[in-house]
Amino acid sequence: MDFMKFLQYIASGTAYTIAVTLVALPSGLLLGILFSILNVYGGKVTQRLTSLYSTIMRGIPPIVLLFILYFIVSGSINLSPFWAGSISLGIVSSAYQMEIVRGAILSVSGGQMMAARAIGMSKNQAIRHVILPQTLRLAIPPWSNEAAIVVKDSSLVYALGVPEILRRAQLISASTQEPFLAYAVAALIYFLLVFITNRLLDALDRRLHIPANP
Amino acid sequence: MKRLIYLAVVLVLVFALAACSASSDHLAAIKKAGKMVVGTSADYPPFEFVDEAGNTTGFDVDLMNEIGKRLGVKVEWVDMPFDSLIAAVQGGKIDLSIAAFNYDEERDKTVDFTDAYYTSEDALVIMESLAGDPPTPENLEQFIIGVQSGTTQDAWLTDNLEATGKLKAGSLQRYERVDQAFMDLQAGRVQVIMSDYVPAKALVDKFGGMKIVYQGVLSTGPMNIVIPDGDKHLQTEVNKIIKDLQDEGFIDALAVKYFSE
Repeated sequence: MDFMKFLQYIASGTAYTIAVTLVALPSGLLLGILFSILNVYGGKVTQRLTSLYSTIMRGIPPIVLLFILYFIVSGSINLSPFWAGSISLGIVSSAYQMEIVRGAILSVSGGQMMAARAIGMSKNQAIRHVILPQTLRLAIPPWSNEAAIVVKDSSLVYALGVPEILRRAQLISASTQEPFLAYAVAALIYFLLVFITNRLLDALDRRLHIPANP
Repeated sequence: MKRLIYLAVVLVLVFALAACSASSDHLAAIKKAGKMVVGTSADYPPFEFVDEAGNTTGFDVDLMNEIGKRLGVKVEWVDMPFDSLIAAVQGGKIDLSIAAFNYDEERDKTVDFTDAYYTSEDALVIMESLAGDPPTPENLEQFIIGVQSGTTQDAWLTDNLEATGKLKAGSLQRYERVDQAFMDLQAGRVQVIMSDYVPAKALVDKFGGMKIVYQGVLSTGPMNIVIPDGDKHLQTEVNKIIKDLQDEGFIDALAVKYFSE
């Protein structure tokens, strides 16, 4: 097989990898922020429920959730393989992102909440204008770790038939018997994706840095 | 009167449900849509694989495209790992699946099969350099064996060697794809591979330094297309087309094209 064609075929899976990541990562972030706030500032019940959610979602393998959502749940709601895969990965990631944001919230000194309340802010206002702006900045470095994991975990959607990078590499490996070449191409693409993502997040971190904060 | 309305509602619901779930309308639905979604695992040359242009091709693929043509519908190919295919047919995610499946009692419980379109055989493959007596079906338990998971060979080895306790722990290695098993044979991690004969022959030619020491029917046999459980209409229609294709020599011609028999 012609090497360029071969490269092109595997590389054209990149669009799926990026699309899955762009669904899973932001939806996981939104859920993660919401759940971490409920966990830290909510009542006993929401605290328990969000902790349970995080424990379960971090405890089961993502592939199991993928199969449940695609083959069992989507018997009644018709989800395409792409959406079933992306949503499952978003759910799994939301549990990890919840823990990241929760850690960041707890590292903002508790006195700030008290001070904000003392000058007449409501709890919601204090969270929105005082706590979260600091929290999200603190969360960027660990979050870039999670972003790298989601980029690579996106390969799991191949189990439902989404032709992303890794599945394409497998197919090329099977038809050409050149496994090392095929997987090296896949590895290179993943590396570039993760490298670029982390560089962008580093830049964001520097830009948003508040000099007075450690 | 109230009771009558109630009865009517229940009847309507029952019929509506029956219409949704009954596979009797599956064939009609396929024809109405003008396409059928066929699942395969395109990592199994020469039955199904990806060509240079990135198209799914192979013996099974050509055959199914012809069946689609005769049903008057377009075939839409979906690639999945082999292990996902049966679940996808069961869940109605794909209309049917062709992937060098052999009829198997366990599988028959959850899905149905068409008539056979080809008969496959098993092969035992070793490195030419393997010292001592070559493996046979009778002394297989003395070797470290590689097999593709979820295949009929896997089931045969599990039932005949593993479940009976003949096999030492750790001497059966399962792989997601058959080419991975061949790579490990080359690397010396397994001593013998049990697989379908046709793909084994293609892989032996490609890898070199290997040979087939047994060819025959142990776990395999007729190859069939997998269809949803109880889907009689589709089964009858596809069976008729398979019979025609056999009579016309279409399938033999495909075998020559892909297996150079």
